[in-house]
Amino acid sequence: MTGYQTPSTRDSVNEWARRLPEKLLEVSNLRTYFFTEAGVVKALDGMSLEVNKGQAVGLVGESGSGKSVTAQSVLRIVPRPGRIVDGSIRFEGEELLAKSDDEMRKLRGPKMAIVFQDPTTSLNPVFTVERQLTDILTLHRDLTKEAASKRALSLLEHVGIQEPEKRLKTYPHELSGGMKQRIAIARALSCEPTLLFADEPTTNLDVTIQAQVLELLKQLQKELNMTMVMITHDMGIIADMTERVTVLYAGKVMEVADTSTLFKSPKHPYTEALLKAVPSVKQTRALEVIPGNIPNLIEPPSGCVFHPRCKFAKDICMKQEPPLEKVDERHYVACHLWRELKLEGRG
Amino acid sequence: MFSETVDSTRNDLYVGLAATLITTLLGVVVGALAGYFKGVVSDVLLGVTQVFFVIPVLLLILLFARVFQALVFKGLGLTLIVLILAFFGWSGIAFIVRGETFKLKEMEFVQAARSLGAGSYRLLFRHIVPNILSPVIVISTLNIAGFILTEVVVSFLGFGDPNTSTWGLLLNEGFPFVRTAWWVSLFPGLAVVFCVLGFNLMGDGLSDALNPRLRE
Amino acid sequence: MAEMQTTEDTGPPILEVNSLVKYFDVVERGIFQKKKVGDVHAIDNVSFHISGGETLGLVGESGCGKTTTGKVILYLEEPTSGSISFEGMNVVETFENGQQSDRKVLRRRMQMVFQNPYNSLDPRMTVYDIISEAFTIHKNIPKSQWTDRVYELLRMVNLEEYHAERYPHEFSGGQRQRIAIARALAVDPKFVILDEPVSSLDVSIRAQILNLLIDLQREKHLSYLYISHDLSSVRQISQRVAVMYLGEVVELARADQIFDKPLHPYTQALISAVPVPDVDHKGTRIILPGEVPSPINPPQACRFHPRCPYATDICKQVAPKFEDKLVDGHFVACHHADKFV
Repeated sequence: MTGYQTPSTRDSVNEWARRLPEKLLEVSNLRTYFFTEAGVVKALDGMSLEVNKGQAVGLVGESGSGKSVTAQSVLRIVPRPGRIVDGSIRFEGEELLAKSDDEMRKLRGPKMAIVFQDPTTSLNPVFTVERQLTDILTLHRDLTKEAASKRALSLLEHVGIQEPEKRLKTYPHELSGGMKQRIAIARALSCEPTLLFADEPTTNLDVTIQAQVLELLKQLQKELNMTMVMITHDMGIIADMTERVTVLYAGKVMEVADTSTLFKSPKHPYTEALLKAVPSVKQTRALEVIPGNIPNLIEPPSGCVFHPRCKFAKDICMKQEPPLEKVDERHYVACHLWRELKLEGRG
Repeated sequence: MFSETVDSTRNDLYVGLAATLITTLLGVVVGALAGYFKGVVSDVLLGVTQVFFVIPVLLLILLFARVFQALVFKGLGLTLIVLILAFFGWSGIAFIVRGETFKLKEMEFVQAARSLGAGSYRLLFRHIVPNILSPVIVISTLNIAGFILTEVVVSFLGFGDPNTSTWGLLLNEGFPFVRTAWWVSLFPGLAVVFCVLGFNLMGDGLSDALNPRLRE
Repeated sequence: MAEMQTTEDTGPPILEVNSLVKYFDVVERGIFQKKKVGDVHAIDNVSFHISGGETLGLVGESGCGKTTTGKVILYLEEPTSGSISFEGMNVVETFENGQQSDRKVLRRRMQMVFQNPYNSLDPRMTVYDIISEAFTIHKNIPKSQWTDRVYELLRMVNLEEYHAERYPHEFSGGQRQRIAIARALAVDPKFVILDEPVSSLDVSIRAQILNLLIDLQREKHLSYLYISHDLSSVRQISQRVAVMYLGEVVELARADQIFDKPLHPYTQALISAVPVPDVDHKGTRIILPGEVPSPINPPQACRFHPRCPYATDICKQVAPKFEDKLVDGHFVACHHADKFV
């Protein structure tokens, strides 16, 4: 903690802060670039995100939007040739980008964790299930082997694995996708992190297994009062699992709002188009097409990064990058024309 | 000494290239057939490949040369060396090709061609083989170097044909004088080194050049 | 905007699949011999028909046999038993004992668009070669017209003529899928199997491809077998839907019947499991216990009984019949379907 405060000031500040929703994670103006042979890929180019304690927040976007890179950036595990080049990430009031590798390592696990998309590659194939869990436990929590094993067992029970004693000794390749993902979740939760990133946790799973895993995540989030960032491209999951959502496109934030507001009255053309392009199992309607392709992140379009595909684009959209403007207290949008446009949501 | 080395280049290259050409052809055909078809054909081809793979080629050549010398009083001619190398040296390529063919056979673009009505011949030689060229070319180029080295060893040990000038032969002749006239062995020695190095690098370069992904 | 066909637009059946069975051998390899130790029951007794101009959606999760069904219909895999009849021709007979010319006809009239756009185009061939390969094989167009035809096909899928000179790796996933569609159309088929054509594409691109497929179907009166695990897109494009579980078809009916009033417990669970992009949606999610069992030793009688919330004794002993006794045209294989009517 920076600075020294007299006990009285600190106490009263804390008292006051306790009454506000606590901002757990505050990302501002984050830029993460990948320096490849073909050029500099601007995976995140001025992205911001705010997550309050206990919230379930969604980060939605398609490929190339930068949603996975966001989680990697917060945990500072961006793979080479990527690097965070600018911005600030404050977690529990502390600036993460100022921390050393050692300090970050102490945070990963006990404070923040990620569940990745593909459990086949995120679980070590030569570790038994038990070892996947006890490894982290003995590292962070200083437990004896027996204590760690006991905890591993209870974790497996907690994530709904049948016959957990048997499963402890098996290897990942002997298990189904759904089971592997439960173990990945158990591992992420083993040190009871405050913040959990779930990066497309169900994309590779069958529909009925996806339902199981999503239910599990919902239940765990409530039980542990955990703050969860759900990263996905699936608007259905957003509607079901999140209370607040940020829409990302080509490394930039397009819109931020409460989930129901976003669905019912979107203010950004991309959000509207995304909602219209998604088919639903509940009704048949004509799908509206977003023409064009995801832009090249090495040479992104000028001005508003969505303008080449936007049916409302005007001159200013090509020239100037729209700032994130306030629609109301809880709703922000990055679009020059939001005041004039009458967009349709999804009831 | 220098000119003799240059002269021998022709012969050594002949051994390397000819042997490689034959082994590659044989290896690709056997490997592709073994990988593409199921059942008896594949099993038989696989077995044959395995048998040939374990035979130590160098020893065999030396053995053969000894016997040959005893029978015909001549050293092994270049062509004979090429033939023996070719006859036994294709199994490495065949294994690789077989493995790659297995993989490619199930790839969707092969299935797509099948669904368009392409016959086995077309599938194998228009779709599968061109896509396995990369590893095959790298190995073949390395083989050129390898075969040349084998020849060098054979001639160096005195089993080659004393009438055809090769680097191995030159090294053989220069060996007794290594202490006094070491430069006699220098040129052919360097030639071997540069040759092997050169072909290795070429293999790398060719593999990149043939990859349409890198064509800009 | 593309609008889906209604059932009234379709014609008589052009594809009939009857009691189709495909087992794969499970083999143990010794040093000198292989021993068969079991069967993978990939598809078991699958029957359905598709009419001219119609789309039949085939849904199910991994291991249910839907992709295998597609491959067997095209005779890319040999069926273990059962019959496939296309435009009156016996497909299995033609491929096993028939004339080369008849086989070629089938290969022209039935086509497939594969799942993975990154694997289904030969990386060493140009787009022109890929599309014109059909002409090389079937020789149905004089060489002088090939270029024109290739350009025409590219335009049909909303690509440009200059794309013909390029290689697959230069295109995005959505574009590659268009090339795959152009290739399938090159032979002028009447029936196209679409195996998860949009699953690996981004959401905004999926709509493009789905609409393209719907437009093409109307223009050319094509029939589709749309195989997918993504129920939302299935609803978008199919007139009728078949649901598969562990190699069997458990329900088959019109799309609206399946989605709004499913009669099989598995179908109900499947549909309720799909997250709905609607904040006011208040459905209860039916969570099925356990995992999908292995197709090597499927459960006895009704294969779904170990996970079914309504299973009773009869479900474990007698395999339910696949029939439309309860609602006309709505086929279901369940002893207790009457509960849900």
